[in-house]
Amino acid sequence: MNRYRYDGTTEGLLTAIDHILRHETDPQKVELEPQRQNLFDEGVYIATDPQRADILIRRFSAAYPDNARQVIYVILSEKELMETSLLQYMHAVSVYGCRIGAHLTHPAVLAVHFLARKVGREVHRFKGLLRFAMLEDGSYLARMEPDFNIIQPLSKFFTRRLGTQEWFICDVKRSLVSHWDGRKIDFGTLESFRSPELAEEELQVQRLWKTFFTHVAIPERKNPQLQRSFMPMKYWKYLVEKE
Amino acid sequence: MDTMDKLKILAGSARYDASCASSGSSRSGGEGSLGNASSGGICHSWSDDGRCISLLKVLLSNDCRYDCAYCVNRSSNPVERTSFTVEELVGLTISFYRRNYIEGLFLSSAVEASPDYTMERMVAVVRRLRQEERFFGYIHMKIIPGCSRELVKEAGFHADRLSVNIELPSGDSLNRLAPQKRKESILKPMALLGETISANRLERKNSRSVPRFSPAGQSTQMIIGASPESDHRILLLSQGLYKKMNLKRVYYSAYVPVNHDNRLPVLANPPLKREHRLYQADWLLRHYGFSADEILSQEHPFLDEHLDPKAAWALRHPEFFPVDINRADYAALLRVPGIGVTSAKRIVAARRYAVFTPDGLKKIGVVMKRARYFITCSGKPVERLFDRPALIRRKLLAAETVASQPPLKQRQISLFQ
Repeated sequence: MNRYRYDGTTEGLLTAIDHILRHETDPQKVELEPQRQNLFDEGVYIATDPQRADILIRRFSAAYPDNARQVIYVILSEKELMETSLLQYMHAVSVYGCRIGAHLTHPAVLAVHFLARKVGREVHRFKGLLRFAMLEDGSYLARMEPDFNIIQPLSKFFTRRLGTQEWFICDVKRSLVSHWDGRKIDFGTLESFRSPELAEEELQVQRLWKTFFTHVAIPERKNPQLQRSFMPMKYWKYLVEKE
Repeated sequence: MDTMDKLKILAGSARYDASCASSGSSRSGGEGSLGNASSGGICHSWSDDGRCISLLKVLLSNDCRYDCAYCVNRSSNPVERTSFTVEELVGLTISFYRRNYIEGLFLSSAVEASPDYTMERMVAVVRRLRQEERFFGYIHMKIIPGCSRELVKEAGFHADRLSVNIELPSGDSLNRLAPQKRKESILKPMALLGETISANRLERKNSRSVPRFSPAGQSTQMIIGASPESDHRILLLSQGLYKKMNLKRVYYSAYVPVNHDNRLPVLANPPLKREHRLYQADWLLRHYGFSADEILSQEHPFLDEHLDPKAAWALRHPEFFPVDINRADYAALLRVPGIGVTSAKRIVAARRYAVFTPDGLKKIGVVMKRARYFITCSGKPVERLFDRPALIRRKLLAAETVASQPPLKQRQISLFQ
């Protein structure tokens, strides 16, 4: 079995996959892992080439858009030791076509399918659970701490939904921020977070929402266990109604 | 009265409506418009009763002239009466939507002076939202039975989904508990909606410029447990509504005693378990190819409280099993307890490439603790109990009780509380 190593970045991963797909006779029998700081780490190191990485993901997305979304979601999951599965998955798709994505008895396809599904589920959850607050200058700010790095797909969704207002989405744990100014979206990292002043009307609207939340529940049907199973407590931190 | 107090009363009296779906419609506007509707639906929160909140669910007014026995807003109840102004409700919807609290508006109302007067006011709210605020979020609207056809038509061009509440499962119960309402006056607008929605679909096939009429279809809801109808009768009614009136959903709402009235049964708790089993049976009608007469019969008119309706059907039909995972068609897979729509689709797609083993089934999400008694994999059974339904029943019930106990961690914590 041939072993390959890369520098641990997304570009590095895609460069390595691109290299293996072009040079290996049987990519299903290859192992790909990040380089470790270890004298005895064996394997061919593939140097990162952003251009190759870009070409690979572009071509793959153009040919197999649904499968590419799964690959991107797996990368966004930031889960370790998925490299070999991703490689085998992309190889299988490029050889047998997009429908191989349904071959769930294949271990790599299964792993990619279910991890991508988990990330997709969190994106979907945050489409509902993200809470914006109006700031002094009339723009809106939402903070979140998702398990996966979903700020890109989530921000894209909100450019369509809340396109008429200026907003920021902030991933507090990863110090990432996205900014929509009404026309275009920018992604950046956050050096330091200073809690900005809220707009005057904000607290009143939050009180209204809390009131609605309390009164829409039927007291005779109280069921906190069911509530938590749909809305796990890890998401409560930034929910106005659960503060 | 300020908006806060009104919201308390009008959300509190709208909460007995079961529906909160925001699915089935995708809608988006051009530049300068606010929001869009996403066809899968999005839940924004879950209230303390575990029900999802996706829409701002309120009554426009709770000042009702009807006196229905089961309703918190009936005219003889001494509750405080109020109503939103159009501006107030539009402002509330927009400021909640901009903060991503909600997916849109669910607008219902008590019947004030007349059905036409009430419906006219409701239409004024959604008209304002769509035309002046250019709001493209989801809108669910109730139709007040007895209002004019023109108002129904206008409502349908603004809303994503319309609904007329059927209230109770039979005309007799309606006469007894809601004497001012008539079965005919409820079924008439439902039929009108059904016809208009399908006619609009056809028109839109010929020309995309025809405006959409209630694109997410129509739904209804009925109260369960306030009247004596059997589950069999309820399911036959739902089946009829799905087939003849083209409904998207029928909602079942467990009766919560809010009034003292000797026409109503005395219940210790709302019949939540029964409501749950009815929803399961409803899913079998809509997605699993079952008919009401397969699920229940004159001899067995009520659903089994301890066992889900599909497992109950499977135990009454041992001749149908075992089903072979690697050969059976999609419809047969769907009838296996423990295999849902998602799993059945996965099996059909994946077995083109390789045969399934029991272990593989577990990995793709089949609930093996139920499915194991009903399947074979390429001729090999998992359990050899196909001809002993009584034993399977005991084993299924045992598996459920283990699963329903809270996880160990939670039980330990409660010791120290």
